[in-house]
Amino acid sequence: MAAVKQTVEHVQALERYKHGFVTDIDQEYAPKGLNADIVRFISAKKDEPEWMLQWRLEAFERWLALEEPDWAKVSFPRIDYQDLHYYAAPKAKEGPKSLDEVDPDLLETYKKLGIPLKEQEVLAGVQGAPRYAVDAVFDSVSVVTTFKKELAQAGVIFCSMSEAIREHGDLVRQYLGSVVPVSDNYFACLNSAVFSDGSFVYVPPGVRCPMELSTYFRINAENSGQFERTLIIADKGAYVSYLEGCTAPMRDENQLHAAVVELVALDDAEIKYSTVQNWYPGDPETGKGGIYNFVTKRADCRGDRSKVSWTQVETGSSITWKYPSCVLRGEGSSGEFYSIAITNGRQQADTGTKMIHLGANTRSRIISKGISAGRSSNTYRGLVSAHPKAKGARNFTQCDSLLIGKTCAAHTVPYIEARNGQSVFEHEATTTRLSEDQLFYAMQRGLSQEEAVQLLVNGFVKDVLQELPMEFAVEAQKLVAISLEGSVG
Amino acid sequence: MSIAAAIRERDVAQLPGKRDEDWRWTDLRGLIRTAPEPSAAVDVAQLGAGPFDALTDEVLTVANGQGAAHVGVEPGEAKVVALRFVSRGDGAHAARVSVEVEAAGRLTLLESYDGEGGYLSHAGLVFSLGKDAVLERVILAGDAADGVSVSQAEVQMAPGSAFAQVVLTTGARRQRLETVIHHPGGHAELRADGVYLLADKRHADLTTVVTHAATDGRTDQLIKGVVRDQARGVFQGRIVVAEGADRTDARMGHHALILSDRAEVDAKPELEIYADDVSCAHGNTVGALDEDALFYARQRGIPEAEAKALLTEAFIGEVVDRIGHETARDIVRAWAADRLRG
Repeated sequence: MAAVKQTVEHVQALERYKHGFVTDIDQEYAPKGLNADIVRFISAKKDEPEWMLQWRLEAFERWLALEEPDWAKVSFPRIDYQDLHYYAAPKAKEGPKSLDEVDPDLLETYKKLGIPLKEQEVLAGVQGAPRYAVDAVFDSVSVVTTFKKELAQAGVIFCSMSEAIREHGDLVRQYLGSVVPVSDNYFACLNSAVFSDGSFVYVPPGVRCPMELSTYFRINAENSGQFERTLIIADKGAYVSYLEGCTAPMRDENQLHAAVVELVALDDAEIKYSTVQNWYPGDPETGKGGIYNFVTKRADCRGDRSKVSWTQVETGSSITWKYPSCVLRGEGSSGEFYSIAITNGRQQADTGTKMIHLGANTRSRIISKGISAGRSSNTYRGLVSAHPKAKGARNFTQCDSLLIGKTCAAHTVPYIEARNGQSVFEHEATTTRLSEDQLFYAMQRGLSQEEAVQLLVNGFVKDVLQELPMEFAVEAQKLVAISLEGSVG
Repeated sequence: MSIAAAIRERDVAQLPGKRDEDWRWTDLRGLIRTAPEPSAAVDVAQLGAGPFDALTDEVLTVANGQGAAHVGVEPGEAKVVALRFVSRGDGAHAARVSVEVEAAGRLTLLESYDGEGGYLSHAGLVFSLGKDAVLERVILAGDAADGVSVSQAEVQMAPGSAFAQVVLTTGARRQRLETVIHHPGGHAELRADGVYLLADKRHADLTTVVTHAATDGRTDQLIKGVVRDQARGVFQGRIVVAEGADRTDARMGHHALILSDRAEVDAKPELEIYADDVSCAHGNTVGALDEDALFYARQRGIPEAEAKALLTEAFIGEVVDRIGHETARDIVRAWAADRLRG
């Protein structure tokens, strides 16, 4: 198997995680540790109103009473919550008025990551090219949000969470914590106490958001955790598509990322939420370092005929623990979940979704594709439930797992709870390895083994990729290939 | 912590409850607040016939935890044994039975559960199969509506052996039929099938855990359920394929019909795979009877109740047909038909 050996060597020579650089920038930190004073410190830094501080302090009190959950199929040393910085921000000279005043080091970082922060850059190129507005979050703060003016003309509010708390307090107060209650779970509760920034989107009734919105999360500081909070509200008949991307430097220690995302869809509204998660996965050999991605994402389809669609491509993080869910409350509302989860090296992922059917004639669809390679472990865990009132509820679930190599693991743990006689739930799952025949076929036609694997894997995940907005799909496809490099042989 | 110990020591704290992940849908701790008295002895002569008495001379009865404790089949021997668990009264009792089929032996074990009263019963069974041994286990579980009954079996298979199980149950106040199987691979064949037919407020939980430890094992599982009224059916199936257990072929299917608006079905079909050269799949459906088929039958003059019974019989028939012992299959089929039409 000389060819295989060659492939392996070739791949080892490649730069595996190209986002792994560190930006050397003047930052200010909150002191390490977590107590009520740190919560006050964060709140004060953000210049928050009193109600927000009280909300945080209450969350902190509740968090102290909660216990860290341990039911997921992941294992990691206990996190010392007192050994983290809960706030890290690039030192701003004087709040930048325009992009020209933003620290050039920061701009350089985003340029390196390929994130367009200058509106004219986004516009450069072909006429009619798709445009998207970006909210860039660097450690604990949002550094810039683009296209705000144009969005404002359409009535869309797109800004950082801290700004929303200051300027749109009523909206935030009405919806914050209404989908993910403060004490929903350990990490959501922690987030409620110490969240620093994130994005806020409000799309008014009947408005179709004129462009894709996106947030780019970057963890840079050492020994810090990122706790962002995102809240998206689509009012009656509104539509918004939102993308999220994330990367972090390569560091030897593990970093905690505990975000909360809340989506609210009112009557006839639709939210499309796409994630390409590429946090640093840790060293593939030793498993050292990498991000702990413990995230709570939930959508409330509050209105009749509302729709929420989650699409996620999970390739990074040393541990992923997330279940983007839909509470289908409104009559005829629908939820979708499309997921590609790839684990390689020593990564562990326990991810899936919850579709909770509460209203009549609600529909949901789950397509999950898990790929495990190296010494990794990949678990799909999901819940589909129908309340006695959810007459006519329908669900279709398909979870397929693909194993590459003898030392990885793939698990499927679906929970199905049907509580009425007029709903139909279907669930299918398969676990297989890459077909030798198909590999042979592709290689016989002149593809290298690496290319053949890529081709087959892309075919395997195609159902999900095609749900992503176009420019993201291209990136995701590349990411799939990079994540699996070195997994065969 | 075990249920047998909870009964023996009269300590309800040892009962599993909904905070135990594997018991989340079959909560015993929340149901049984105080430990029942130990069950009184039962006069076996007064019990009447069990469902499989006509098929064999070897009928073993375990009444309120007292009675036969071992079934043995010698190398190359073939036999049919009826094993009957009987519960009477409102007390608590536990029994242990071991079944050993030595190399190339063949056993048809016709197991049944019947009860009267509000008892708490536990049956612990240990099966061991020698090389190339064949064991067919047919279970009819007809517990009382007020009874709480748990049967836990642990099966150790050897390479080349075959273990096939079909369980039919009508549930109880709370009931669990659990089978844990250690599958050694080595071309051993496993079937773990079941049917639950639940009405009123009855509950039944079919749980299986199959662990494939080495290469070339096969598992095939088909579970079907029909629930009416306010009944609750639970299926938990886990297939584990250990590292190195290549060429494992495992399939699991669970299909349930909910025939009323207040009935419930909870299912958790799990795959836990640590080897790559495997072919594993599970399918799960929960829904109502096919309206079109019902319409078709009624159009041809079959009354609705009759048509529903026919369709549900056909639905579960696929599982009953997998019973190898012909006469036992007929008895089981008639037993199920009685309960579907009752």
